Amino acid sequence: MTSHDGSNFYQEYEVFSKKNAKSPIQHQFSLLAPNDEMALNMAQENFMRRENVIDVWVVPRSQIRSMTSEERQLWTKRLDNKEYRTTKGYGYLRKKWREKEQGMLDEKEIMSWKEVKKL
Amino acid sequence: MYIYGGASAADHEKDTEKHTVFMKRIEAGEKIEADDWMPDEYRNALIKLISMHGISEIMGALPEKEWVPKAPSLKRKLGIMAKVQDEMGHGQLLLRVAEDLIKPYGKNRENIMQDLLNGKLKFHNVFHMPTKTWADAGIVGWLVDGAAIISQTNMLDASYGPYQRALQRICQEEVFHAQHGESIIMALAEGSNKQRDMLQEALDRWWSSLLMFFGPASATTTGSSKQEITTKYRIRKSSNEELRQAFLDKYLPRIFSLGLTVPDETIHYDEANKRWEYKQPDWNEFKKIISNNGPCSKQRLRLRDIAYENNRWVRQALAPQAVVS
Amino acid sequence: MKRIDTAKEAKQNPSYFEALVELLFQLADDDFIISFRGSEWLGLAPHIEEDVALSSITQNTMGHASLYYHLLEDLDIGNADKLAHERQAVERRNASYFERKNGEGSYLQEPYYDWALTVVRQFLFETMKKVKLETIINSSYQPLADIANKVLMEQPYHLAHWRMWLKQLLGSTEEAQNKVQFQLEAAWPACADIIGLGPKAFELEKHHLIAGEDYLRKQWLKELEQSLSLPSSLFVDNHPARGRYGEHTADLDQALSTLSEVYNSDQKAVW
Repeated sequence: MTSHDGSNFYQEYEVFSKKNAKSPIQHQFSLLAPNDEMALNMAQENFMRRENVIDVWVVPRSQIRSMTSEERQLWTKRLDNKEYRTTKGYGYLRKKWREKEQGMLDEKEIMSWKEVKKL
Repeated sequence: MYIYGGASAADHEKDTEKHTVFMKRIEAGEKIEADDWMPDEYRNALIKLISMHGISEIMGALPEKEWVPKAPSLKRKLGIMAKVQDEMGHGQLLLRVAEDLIKPYGKNRENIMQDLLNGKLKFHNVFHMPTKTWADAGIVGWLVDGAAIISQTNMLDASYGPYQRALQRICQEEVFHAQHGESIIMALAEGSNKQRDMLQEALDRWWSSLLMFFGPASATTTGSSKQEITTKYRIRKSSNEELRQAFLDKYLPRIFSLGLTVPDETIHYDEANKRWEYKQPDWNEFKKIISNNGPCSKQRLRLRDIAYENNRWVRQALAPQAVVS
Repeated sequence: MKRIDTAKEAKQNPSYFEALVELLFQLADDDFIISFRGSEWLGLAPHIEEDVALSSITQNTMGHASLYYHLLEDLDIGNADKLAHERQAVERRNASYFERKNGEGSYLQEPYYDWALTVVRQFLFETMKKVKLETIINSSYQPLADIANKVLMEQPYHLAHWRMWLKQLLGSTEEAQNKVQFQLEAAWPACADIIGLGPKAFELEKHHLIAGEDYLRKQWLKELEQSLSLPSSLFVDNHPARGRYGEHTADLDQALSTLSEVYNSDQKAVW
């Protein structure tokens, strides 16, 4: 392969971005650019023209080991028997605590504990 | 175009089995990804559909773009620039999807551009037409985009994941486009007599192109139609005529409410059949237009050709040096 | 330095007022003509992703022009759209280099546009803009200082974009280097006009509206030297066409007749 006609200019990059400090990095789309710097420079205006963004990643697609079609079919299925791993398996506690006139420590309750009474 | 296929007889049986699994997946609403096995017929239909869709966005930027530097106020200059920029952006999304589909054949964007320039890859009929006045820019923004929104939203559940995701982004931006177009034509409709005349003339000019937008009702009209294949593979839901009727349903009342008319004295809503009856556009003309013999086909291809070739040195300069083997 | 907070106050001192108006026209007309040339590129850039990025920069830049025209509107100079669309070439205060056509042909026909010209021009423009705005944030006219602060929020991305292009082309093939070098040579004689402040340079400095020309030149050199090797005669005033003095080229006439074509078809109409 030579790049005589310039078609080698079209390298594939996957683009990721982060909306705000609390949000995770999110895949946006892909673009073609000749190198990392140009890919990064193009990414924001191509995919986040109307969105807030505080960080952008570009990754050459060749550097991503993604699942193959077969692996997606074979590796991503699970039996529906993992209740012990989730709160679903412990739902009976709500009733128990209610009998003892106490509330259940559910997600909403626990996530609200970030504020502790000031002494 | 890269229409490949022709598996050997030995492969055939295995493929039949794969085909059955494939059809089950899409019928269950699963999305197909670029590296999943897919029937040649499906891949080829997608390549044809999406590369045409993508390149039409790129070519579609040209007629509207004529009015970008000329737009009559700072606000209009900015609005139409953002709108045409989106068309380029939509072209980018769609071409990326098409490029991943042709990649197994060793092809990339360069090949798509070459196919456009040598006439193998067609672009949408509406983008072969002239935009004579500022009002044409308004009609394109309002009604051509309206027609595009009807046909694109119809594919929002498409079985091909990358296309479906691109369309999701595109349709979200189309909401801005719809309002941008309405804003231009509303100012003209409520403006001076000269502005109203300008608007009516533009609508008259564009009417048959708008009817043609959705393609012929059946393959017998022009001798080819890919609507059966795209419906079979759950890429789109509705037929050409259903989409055209949806367009007329949504837009004719709005056209009439502005005191505008369409150049068809016979057009009326048939209550009994629940459909619009309208004068057929000249489908021979349609065939001529999409084979790059429309009023502006050559001129627009020439613009694209010059832009692409004249800037080749830039791509050559920055192309990473591949190892010569 | 006396801070002026309102248009009304600015109008009380004629010398101050005239200098301010002069500066605002320079700023507005620079951004406006550059974004006009950018808008001609739409759909014709070297690759699609760049087309989209370039258009965002162009839109931002026209947005900046609009902010300055509105400051002029606040000073009762005229309606912003009128100022952008109706003024004749001799009334325009943009550096004449910025009005140059993108290349041979027009955006409608045979657009043999020159990407090297665009990269060089945009780079010179954005570095000049940075240098000027960084002193205008301390301007005595507070409404202008506020706008400068806003514009400086968006501008670093623009500059980074063009610096990247310049650097990458200069680090690539001989053909690309030659094209860029050719455009740089063509640009040098225009540099005095670009960084210049025109006939009211003295008053502009005196009223603390912007720093003086000597300081601007010094700061601009610092910016340019980071990316380019410069000729020693950079600011020798070769008078190509001193746009800051209302001297322009035929290229501006083409720009004005295009950008005001629809507007002029009915100046009274609401578009």
